[in-house]
Amino acid sequence: MRHFRVLYVHELRCALLSGGTWSVAALFLTLMGAVHWFAVLECSRAPTPWTPTEGTFRLFWIPLLFVLPLLTMRTFAEERRSGTLAALLTTPASAAAVVWAKFLATWTVWALLWAAFAAFPALTEQRMGTPGDLRLGDPVALWGGLAFVLTSGLMHVAVGVLCSCVTRSPTLAALLTFVTLLGLTAAGGALDSLPVESWEWMGWLREPADHLRTFGHLQDFASGVMDSRPLVLYLTGTLLCLGLSVLALEGQES
Amino acid sequence: MTHEAGQPESAVAAEGLTKRYGSLVAIEELSFSVAPGEIVGFLGPNGAGKSTTMRILAGTMAATSGRASIWGQSVALDPAAAKRRMAYMPENNPLPEDLRVEEYLVLRAKLKDVEPGRVKARVAKVMEDCDLARRASGRLIGQLSKGFRQRVGIADALLSEPKVVLLDEPTIGLDPHQILGIRDLIRALRGKMAVLISSHILHEVEQVCDKVVIINRGRLVAQGRPADLRRELRPSASFTIVAREDAAAVLAAARSLEPAATAEEAGEEDGWRRTRLSLPTGSPALDALATGLASAGLRVREASEEKFGLEEIFLAATRRSPGEGRRS
Repeated sequence: MRHFRVLYVHELRCALLSGGTWSVAALFLTLMGAVHWFAVLECSRAPTPWTPTEGTFRLFWIPLLFVLPLLTMRTFAEERRSGTLAALLTTPASAAAVVWAKFLATWTVWALLWAAFAAFPALTEQRMGTPGDLRLGDPVALWGGLAFVLTSGLMHVAVGVLCSCVTRSPTLAALLTFVTLLGLTAAGGALDSLPVESWEWMGWLREPADHLRTFGHLQDFASGVMDSRPLVLYLTGTLLCLGLSVLALEGQES
Repeated sequence: MTHEAGQPESAVAAEGLTKRYGSLVAIEELSFSVAPGEIVGFLGPNGAGKSTTMRILAGTMAATSGRASIWGQSVALDPAAAKRRMAYMPENNPLPEDLRVEEYLVLRAKLKDVEPGRVKARVAKVMEDCDLARRASGRLIGQLSKGFRQRVGIADALLSEPKVVLLDEPTIGLDPHQILGIRDLIRALRGKMAVLISSHILHEVEQVCDKVVIINRGRLVAQGRPADLRRELRPSASFTIVAREDAAAVLAAARSLEPAATAEEAGEEDGWRRTRLSLPTGSPALDALATGLASAGLRVREASEEKFGLEEIFLAATRRSPGEGRRS
């Protein structure tokens, strides 16, 4: 536990002092600022069934696919390439402590980015809202959306860490993460679009499709519905990816 | 297997270590040991399997078969216990470029289970010992010269006062001044820690090490103290005698001291004849030989023994077939 704590503080400190992290943060906030601004504009033109905050969270896949891989790609690939990972593993710190520390530090940065995004709806509400009307800030959608991205983010960051574990190239790690996250995000929708009802032999797909509907989970979280199934999915996915990362790290010979 | 006060017989023990990559055998049935407090040189030509062996001992690579142990702890079965007693500086000494020397050493001390209250004191001590305190403590590692980077690697290795230090090519790429500095650092460890140094620089190993282990094509070819190996690998001692008399006269005089002596003419200059004299190992030493030749009436101007240093030992050991090597 001591090794985990030491490594977590070190990783978080390095991430927060790194120019790369600040560049990624700038990209994230620019993207999310633009998305939110367009959502506000769209809502101001004509009545919409969603609030600007809900509309912004529906596009959570943009930072997920284009920003998160930039955060996770260097966790292991860079250190494997430079040889510092092998040096780290000659200390009594276990591979599990190393993996969990890097994972949690990256997730913390991801959470901080989303926490910074929360300022946009708050500022919009403060500058443009009318007293008593909370639709611009929409705190329910904001807190629900944040709960979703942070919970699903556990698994998404773990996927990125696993991809970074299996290669020495940060670029390849980012590409692998992008493709895997794209698959995971789109899987539910793709399975949903299959004609499951008309083809009986595909009936078994109904259940997994129901479990994997990422956008459905977002809607549930944003509307305050607490369903344990997505929580189990994201937590088991996280543990699976981190377990595989530990095995990959222990199996590596340098 | 332990001496007094829980001290094991061997600080480092490799027993029948084998590492295969498919059909390629990197090391095969490699066995050697390092006693506590001993400094041992690990020698071999390029590709002999030195770094593979060091990695197996450090626990960053698994052996296909055999047993590696550090201070009595199996590296494969109890890696955490072995790593607590050992420090390893890999070849090329990879270091994080964007950390300052002091913060890197503090991090490593914490990871190496140095007691929280002693971390600062230990870091200050190793930086002082490795001459980093005044010139490099606040600098980014990425801005350091190769020599200072090696010092950081050695400082890291000494942080937790391990029982065993494994150094893979610690002086590679250093200038002569830096090599001297690192050599003095390693010498200072004698008696305190067991040190296994993999190196190509035979002179350096000869200067620093108590014992050498020589491998070739993944197999042990010789191990022991340089003096013992010299006796084992040198079939005869060779002397050059410069005298007025010819080789036959020198040989006749030498045979009165050692009947198995042989001699050959090696040139002449200004009436002084050069003779190359070979005597079996264990024959009279140079002083006794020179005295013996002079008392036989020879007019000797010069007598010298041909060097048989570690370089010659290394060449002789690596020339003989792997498997002929003996344990000592």
